[in-house]
Amino acid sequence: MSIDSYRFLDFGTRQVMKAWAARQQRGVIPFTPLAKPLRECTIALVSTAGIARNDDQPFDQKRERRDPWWGDPSFRVIPLGTTEQDVRLYHMHIDPRFGEADLDVVLPMRRLIELASEGLVGQAAPRHYSLMGYILDPAVLVKETAPALADRMHADDVDAVVLVPA
Amino acid sequence: MGLVQNIFEVSGFSTVALSMIPELTRAVGVPRLAGISHPMGRPLGQPHDADGQRAVLRATLDILATAQGPDAYIELPFVWPESPARARNASRDLPPPPIVALLKAKPWLLVNLYSGRIPHEVTPAPTPGSRGEEGI
Repeated sequence: MSIDSYRFLDFGTRQVMKAWAARQQRGVIPFTPLAKPLRECTIALVSTAGIARNDDQPFDQKRERRDPWWGDPSFRVIPLGTTEQDVRLYHMHIDPRFGEADLDVVLPMRRLIELASEGLVGQAAPRHYSLMGYILDPAVLVKETAPALADRMHADDVDAVVLVPA
Repeated sequence: MGLVQNIFEVSGFSTVALSMIPELTRAVGVPRLAGISHPMGRPLGQPHDADGQRAVLRATLDILATAQGPDAYIELPFVWPESPARARNASRDLPPPPIVALLKAKPWLLVNLYSGRIPHEVTPAPTPGSRGEEGI
């Protein structure tokens, strides 16, 4: 494996990530073939950078400070056209300043619009989404948040989803 | 993230994930994955580097068109322009996340983090040899 972003992490975080990787068990991996050519697909982006619009509720940092084992498992809608002027990043495990200086660093909506006008993809979905990536217990994420996002993306006739970590 | 991706895929979407820690994502197993050696917090690249960001997104989207079956994995060739030390130092002035502060005060709880036995509430300080209250 030539990809090595561990070198950007401190030693402790690196060791925890490796321990988590070693514990995972693979199940059957799903696969949905592209329903149509990529140049006709509507694409939605999902970031885990903890992005919330300034007119929306922030991700809950107070509760995480009170219970550091907990991370906010809810999601925020980021409509196409939202820029770094309109948001803040509420993720205490990454440096939020890069995404707040240029939202495309974590949620590349402008880049997606450019690639759509080039013809690589059909179009950018009208709505994109953010989660907050520090979630140690994924129960709510799996049972509630992800299915709710899937429903919303179906309503927008999304064909394909790009997940962007933070 | 891998769990969320698989739920989307089962729900009928074709999905691709970018990952800075593909080892972890591949351990879960996902339909389509692009590994990238970028620092956390900057998955697409440097702020205001539109060309670099577009290249990363294009390479990630390409996998949607080329993957023939599950567990498709591409290592993206992008090279981060700073040294790892410089990238880490850029964020050195930030306060540590709450879990780091907690584990500094109660290092015995590190076993929970390593093992994935996540307490549901802040545990009272356990006596040595016990692990305190645990969740599932």
